[in-house]
Amino acid sequence: MAIRLEDVSTTYEGEKRPAIRDINLKVRSGELIAVIGPNGAGKTTLLETINGLLRSEGLVEVLGLDVRKYGREVRRRTGYVPQDFMVPSDTPFLAKDIVMMGRVGRIGLLKPPSKRDWEVVMAVMEQLGIADLADRPVGKLSGGQQQKVMIARALAKEPELLLLDEPFSSLDARSRETVCRLIADLRDDRSVTALVVTHDLSAMPEECDRAVLLNGGRITADGEPEEVFRSEAFLRAYGHIKVVRP
Amino acid sequence: MIELPSGILIRALIGGLLAGSLCSLLGVFAVRLKMASIGFCMSHAAFAGAALGTLLALDPLATAMVFSLATAALLGPVADKARLPANVIAGIMFPITMALAFIFISLMPGPVVGLAALSLLWGSVLTVSPSDIAFLAILMALTTSFLALFWKEVQAVLFDPRMAEADGINSRAYMNAMLFLLGAVVALSLKLVGGLLVYALIMNSASTALQLSYDMKKVFFLSPAVGMTSFLAGFALSTALDWPIGSSIVVASSLLLAFAIVFSPKRRRG
Repeated sequence: MAIRLEDVSTTYEGEKRPAIRDINLKVRSGELIAVIGPNGAGKTTLLETINGLLRSEGLVEVLGLDVRKYGREVRRRTGYVPQDFMVPSDTPFLAKDIVMMGRVGRIGLLKPPSKRDWEVVMAVMEQLGIADLADRPVGKLSGGQQQKVMIARALAKEPELLLLDEPFSSLDARSRETVCRLIADLRDDRSVTALVVTHDLSAMPEECDRAVLLNGGRITADGEPEEVFRSEAFLRAYGHIKVVRP
Repeated sequence: MIELPSGILIRALIGGLLAGSLCSLLGVFAVRLKMASIGFCMSHAAFAGAALGTLLALDPLATAMVFSLATAALLGPVADKARLPANVIAGIMFPITMALAFIFISLMPGPVVGLAALSLLWGSVLTVSPSDIAFLAILMALTTSFLALFWKEVQAVLFDPRMAEADGINSRAYMNAMLFLLGAVVALSLKLVGGLLVYALIMNSASTALQLSYDMKKVFFLSPAVGMTSFLAGFALSTALDWPIGSSIVVASSLLLAFAIVFSPKRRRG
C-alpha cells in the first residue's frame, strides 16, 4: 500500500474548522489518481498532509512509514510540485540547479552530485523539452517553463510517489500531454504512485485509474473517473457540467 | 600621514581581508533569506555584550561574542514560536539590545570606562591581535567547510526553504546554522570595523555580487572578492585621506555597489 489515511483531519493554525476532515483513503502502489474538487475543497491540504508538511490527526502512513515520525524520509522519496510556484525574475539560480535540488535527499549528506545525478537531471529536462534551458536563470523563464522546471525537479528525484498540485495550470495542451505520458510511463514501468490535483476537469489526465472528489474538506466520491462524474456528490460539487476529457 | 610598524600593518591587512571576505560570504545568506535587520541586531547585541563585559571587568570581546551568538541562537526559535519572519524578530530585538547596552553603560562608574564599550561601535583595524586573526581564520575554515560539505542543501534552502523541506531537507537546521555563523562573524568583526559598519560589509558585498550574476555558485565566489576589494580600497582611502578606517570601508563598498547597480549585466538587453 502506497498511502493509507485513517480518520485524518488537518486544521491550520489559528483555525477552528479543519481544512480536511475524516479522510479515509487507501492507495495501492502504481495507482494514478486524480484529486478533483472545487476551489477550497482541501485538495492542496490533502497533498501536504500526505507528505507531512502539515501536521494532522489520525493515521497517515505513506510508503509504509508513519509520516509523523518519518516525514523527512517520506519527502525524500516523494516528488512534489506545489501549486502556482513562480520565482522573481532576478532569482540567482540556474534551471539545471533547481532540477538537481530534487535529488538532494537521494544523493545523501556530504556527497556532491555524481555524473549519474547530472545525467538523470539532463535526461528528465530532455523528456520535458527544456534541456536547452538548463543554463538559463530560472526567473527569466516563462510561467510554463518554470512549471516544467518544477515538474522536472520532482521527476529527477526518481520518486516512489508523486504529488502534483495543479501541474498543468500554465502548460499548453502539448506540454500537458507530454507530462501526462511521462507520469503514466512511470506508473507502468516503475509502479510509481501519483496523485494529480486539478480543479480543471478537462485537464484531468485520461490515464487516471481513479478519481477522488473532495468537497468541503471531505471525500465525497471515490472510484473510477466515469463513475465519479456520474455521482450525486459530483453534481453537488460542480452542478450540471459536462466533463470533456482529452 | 603616520608611519605604521610593519607588524601592525600586516596584521591589519590579514584581519581586514579575513573579516571582509567572511562578512561578504555570510552576507549572501542574510540577503537571500531577506534578513537585512539581522546585521544591525547582532552588532548591537555584541555592543550590549561588550558593555556588560566592561561593567563586570571581563574581556569585552568575549562577552560581545556571547551576546551576539546568543542572539543568533534565539532568533530562529523565537521566530518559529511567534510565527513571524526572523527579520521581524531581529527588528524587535534590536532596540532591546540597545536598551541593555545603555543600561550597562549607565551603571559604569565613569565616562572613560563606557568609552571602551563604545569603541566597539566604530572599531579599529589597527588594534587587531594575533588571537583575533586566529579566531577569524577558524571561523573562515568553519564557514567554508559548511559550504563545501552542505552546498547542495544550502543551495536548496537559499532557493526556497519550504520547497527544500518538501524535498526532505531540514531547512530550519540549516537556517539556524547560517544565523549562528552570521552571529559569530559580526562579533569577531566588531573590533576591526565596528558594530555600526559591519552591517554595510555584510549587506553591500552580497548585494553587489547578486547584481553581477544569476548563478548562486558564482555569487559565493564574487561576494568575498567584493568584500576584500572593499576592505583594500577602504584601507587605501583611509591611509591616503586620514579618514576613519571603518567609514572608508563603507564608502568603498557602497561605491562598488553603486557601480554594480549601474553597470549590472542583468540590466543589459540582447
